[in-house]
Amino acid sequence: MANDENYLTLQRVPGRGSLGEGGNDSTSAKLMETRHRAFSFARVHAITVNTLTELTRLKVFYVLLVFALLLIGSSIFMVQFTFQQEFQILKDVSLGAMSIFTSLLAIVATARLIPQDIEDRTVYTILSKPVPRLEYLLGKIAGVLLLLAISTLVMSAVFLLVLYTREQAVLQATIRHMSAGPRGQLEDAIRAVHASAFNIDLAPGVVIIYLKACLLAALTLFVSTFATTNIFTIVVMVFIYFIGHLQATAREYWLQAHSSGVLTRIFLALVALLFPDLQAFNLVDDIVAGTAISLGLFFKTSLLGIFYTTIYTLLAAVVFYGKEL
Amino acid sequence: MTEPAIAVRGLTKIFPVPLHRQSIVAVRDLDLRVEPREVYGLLGPNGSGKSTTLKIILGLVSPTRGRTEIFGRDSRLVESRVAVGFLPENPYFYKYLTGEETLRFFGRLCGLRGARLRERIDELLDLVGLTKARKQRLGTYSKGMLQRIGLAQALIHHPRLLVLDEPTAGVDPVGSREIRDLICDLRNRGITVLLSSHLLAQAQEICDRVGILADGVMVREGRLDELIAIEKQTELILENASATLLNEIEGLAAKSKARVIERRKSTTTLERLFLEATKKRRSTNGE
Repeated sequence: MANDENYLTLQRVPGRGSLGEGGNDSTSAKLMETRHRAFSFARVHAITVNTLTELTRLKVFYVLLVFALLLIGSSIFMVQFTFQQEFQILKDVSLGAMSIFTSLLAIVATARLIPQDIEDRTVYTILSKPVPRLEYLLGKIAGVLLLLAISTLVMSAVFLLVLYTREQAVLQATIRHMSAGPRGQLEDAIRAVHASAFNIDLAPGVVIIYLKACLLAALTLFVSTFATTNIFTIVVMVFIYFIGHLQATAREYWLQAHSSGVLTRIFLALVALLFPDLQAFNLVDDIVAGTAISLGLFFKTSLLGIFYTTIYTLLAAVVFYGKEL
Repeated sequence: MTEPAIAVRGLTKIFPVPLHRQSIVAVRDLDLRVEPREVYGLLGPNGSGKSTTLKIILGLVSPTRGRTEIFGRDSRLVESRVAVGFLPENPYFYKYLTGEETLRFFGRLCGLRGARLRERIDELLDLVGLTKARKQRLGTYSKGMLQRIGLAQALIHHPRLLVLDEPTAGVDPVGSREIRDLICDLRNRGITVLLSSHLLAQAQEICDRVGILADGVMVREGRLDELIAIEKQTELILENASATLLNEIEGLAAKSKARVIERRKSTTTLERLFLEATKKRRSTNGE
């Protein structure tokens, strides 16, 4: 009878561990139980790699393509300016675009991670394994931070390549025009071209842009732990983004205009506590203008970024710990 | 007395409704005990509290009152899950991963590495019949295949307890039969299975004990054969019995004050008919 027929061939491979408790299986099951660690970097690593794979297969790297096209397109347009203007605009456009694109990537990529896992019930399969919720969140945020690091590096590489190409073109044109003139003048001109193309402050500028994106990713993760949809998270984050950029200016204005108001001060203190001061991360203008960033300011801003990222990740962990799934 | 695989005592779960005074009682004063190496079926209609109970046992939802333990460990503790494999209802795994990558991911979460993990993946893919589809992305898997890869991931770390939420929901009869055969095989190998279902015929086939939930309350519980046995009635199935023999049996019954309630031709089940017909068709097509 059909009832006796087995469509699924169940095989037990001789000499291997297998399904159940009997014999060696019992030993292997008990071994696994005794080996459980309260915190495991290996588990966090597994979730990080999976998150990175998830995000890369969602084709988020198209943002980088848009960035490259924007840079190459603008560099063609800028040929008509003097080389000082050209390099300044190129740096301005590149660092500005890098800041916007990494921020956008941080918000959009992070917003979907947890709500999507809950909607698809994949979070059940992960958290019903011996995986603490903190490790799950750390793995998720680490995956996003890794994606942001790769994106920032690729964008920086494209930016430096375009800048180098334009610098070489300007150098060749300068040598061509000044080859008949005195040697000293030519050397001065070459030095001037080098000086306006590259300056050492570009590197800390890129680091600060990355840290700002990390902060936004951690904040998005926090919002997504109590949000029910991706759209809600993104809308909230857009508001926070603008408030974060405007709050410093607003604070200065209000404190000057209403310096005696206690309520105003409390309100502003609350805003400052709840929303990160994103304007503090806006060092791009100074870098483009050629103003040197002091080491102190760089470390202070970096620490601020790391502090915010850590705080928001921990807050996300606290909310997620008590979340009913 | 042996330690139970699952012990639930006085479990109550109340979900508050935001902006409303009333709240929803999903489970009320539930006591449940699942012994090692048995298949326990938690039955009930939709919304009866089956999934909530399973989630509390797995530590995914916290109880309002009461206590749940897995092999003596509080199920709110992460380490209690070392002994558990879980297959949620209609699981959607990461579509961008292949079957093999999915098992590798879950294996790593359970601390498996290297050759041991590779061997375990081969073994489980073979067990659930997905060796040929191991390099295929899960986005291309059928519902039955997803359910089978789900079972494989639940077994990756040699759990002593398997929790299955509606394991055959939405799966065709062939896939459903495969999953039931697999559950029976797991029980024979000593794994405890707790499953929730509202497909009663299927639960009847595989469960040793069942509990019936209604509105979050356990209304019946016990050994399946005892629960469904009808007192004072006996079934007698005969082959090649002539009409004379049957009349004689009925006569004997009447003499001893027994009564023949029903006399009918034995029938097969629709499921068996379906499985036979589709199997013949598949073997004709050389599949």
